[in-house]
Amino acid sequence: MDGPDRAQERLQARAPEMELIREAQAGSRAAFDALVRQYEQQVLRLALHLTGSEHDAEDIYQEAFLKAFRYIGNFRFECSFYTWIYRIVTNLCLDQLRRKKTRREDQAVVVDQSGDEIDVLSSVSDNRSFSNPGKELDRKVLGERIQAALSKLTPRERMVFELKHYQGLRLRTIGEMLNTTEETAKNTLFRATKKLRTQLAGLR
Amino acid sequence: MNCELAHERIVLAAYGELPDEQAHELDRHLAACNDCSQEREQLQALKTLAMANPVTELDPNFVARSRMRLEEALDAIPPKRWYERVGQRMLNNFASLQAAPVAAVLLLIVGGGAGTLGGYEYAAARAAHAAGRAAVAQAKVDAAAQEHSGPAEIANISSIEREPNSEIVHVTFNQLVPQHIQGSLDDPGIRQLLLLASANAASPVVRDDSVGLLAAECRAGHGCQGEGIRDALMVALRYDKSVTVRQKALEGLQPYVAEDMRVRDAVLEALLSDSDARIRTAAITILEPVEADTSVRQVLSTVANSDHNPHIRTVSRQVLSRAPEIQ
Repeated sequence: MDGPDRAQERLQARAPEMELIREAQAGSRAAFDALVRQYEQQVLRLALHLTGSEHDAEDIYQEAFLKAFRYIGNFRFECSFYTWIYRIVTNLCLDQLRRKKTRREDQAVVVDQSGDEIDVLSSVSDNRSFSNPGKELDRKVLGERIQAALSKLTPRERMVFELKHYQGLRLRTIGEMLNTTEETAKNTLFRATKKLRTQLAGLR
Repeated sequence: MNCELAHERIVLAAYGELPDEQAHELDRHLAACNDCSQEREQLQALKTLAMANPVTELDPNFVARSRMRLEEALDAIPPKRWYERVGQRMLNNFASLQAAPVAAVLLLIVGGGAGTLGGYEYAAARAAHAAGRAAVAQAKVDAAAQEHSGPAEIANISSIEREPNSEIVHVTFNQLVPQHIQGSLDDPGIRQLLLLASANAASPVVRDDSVGLLAAECRAGHGCQGEGIRDALMVALRYDKSVTVRQKALEGLQPYVAEDMRVRDAVLEALLSDSDARIRTAAITILEPVEADTSVRQVLSTVANSDHNPHIRTVSRQVLSRAPEIQ
């Protein structure tokens, strides 16, 4: 979770980081590499958990840091570098989630004989739980159910839930990263938890 | 409290985002309302359930592979040429003026004007120089003057003086020819010059004067609501090399430490990492009204333990001991 410890580390880290940013802005590759090393774990972890695919996560990581390298000259210390880099990453992740959602919806909805649309994915996950009626769902299946429920959220809801629940960031920070207010982030989190509870109602 | 509000607060409380006094109110409501306490249990169940999809540790091979691919891509980008970097830097400097819409408009006007009248201006400046006339032009700042003497033409700011017991300040700055204007502290033109001086002036005295005046305006509550002045003070507090400038910036930020989180962050940063003990001491005093904030307490306790100045350690310990305990 985003405890005061992490906030404090960030504050302390900022001073030498500023030097690195200035050097990177002046064209130093070594300084930029040092910045990459400071953030790569967080970026990869976020992208991997959000997309569930190493391949997608690697693409997002690559694109995010290339963008950062190209535009680091535009960084003007108005927000922390941490927020700036996360803003790039979350935007790329949102794009990826949107693409994935469209693809999934295209594939998942088929028309049955009577002409009604049926959602293949939801019937698959339903069958899965019905096929083990007596047994407790094992952790892997449970994990898949959670992922299926998460994928039903809108990309923004998914992102806010990810940043809050799994990455433990403050709602204020999340608002800044997503270029919105803390209040909007709060409402989005509220909607996301509500939807998830409905989705996962059968599992409790 | 109605149940709808309680449901919202249950989510915030579960994620540690509910202020203490509201948490207390919520507890009282939950004790009395069965539906809502079930709601809380369900949310806790969801939180537990969601942990079945944990954030796993990264495979080092995966990290290494990603980094290698990135490095290859970065190597393939040709290094920026010196003129691209200079261009970028100039762009950034100009972009910092965007904070004031007036300045942005002026920039356009001046840019257009400079293109067509550049030769004429140059000749006029030469003539003025050759004639040996005093290169100081007096101009009252009014609407008309603003259109023609925007910050874009200003090379640097050489002095700032305030008339005793009045709102009037004199700002001397260099344009194509050095100029001098006077006007009220509330005048947008004057403020723009002060903002420029606070960030760009080479002389610490000028920076000191401008930051001092801006800070005094903020403390007096004279239209410091706009982001521009506050931002300038935060920049001065973080980056200015002169201790007195930082000190004045800190004083100017004092009224906003409770309401503006960015101001609070800047003051916390000063408390943690400013090289001068006086600034750190002043930061502690300023933070007293918001000492119940967890990040403030955390920084205070770090300072109380690890600041190398014994006086600062003692003061922060005292402040901490006065603040009520947080659950």
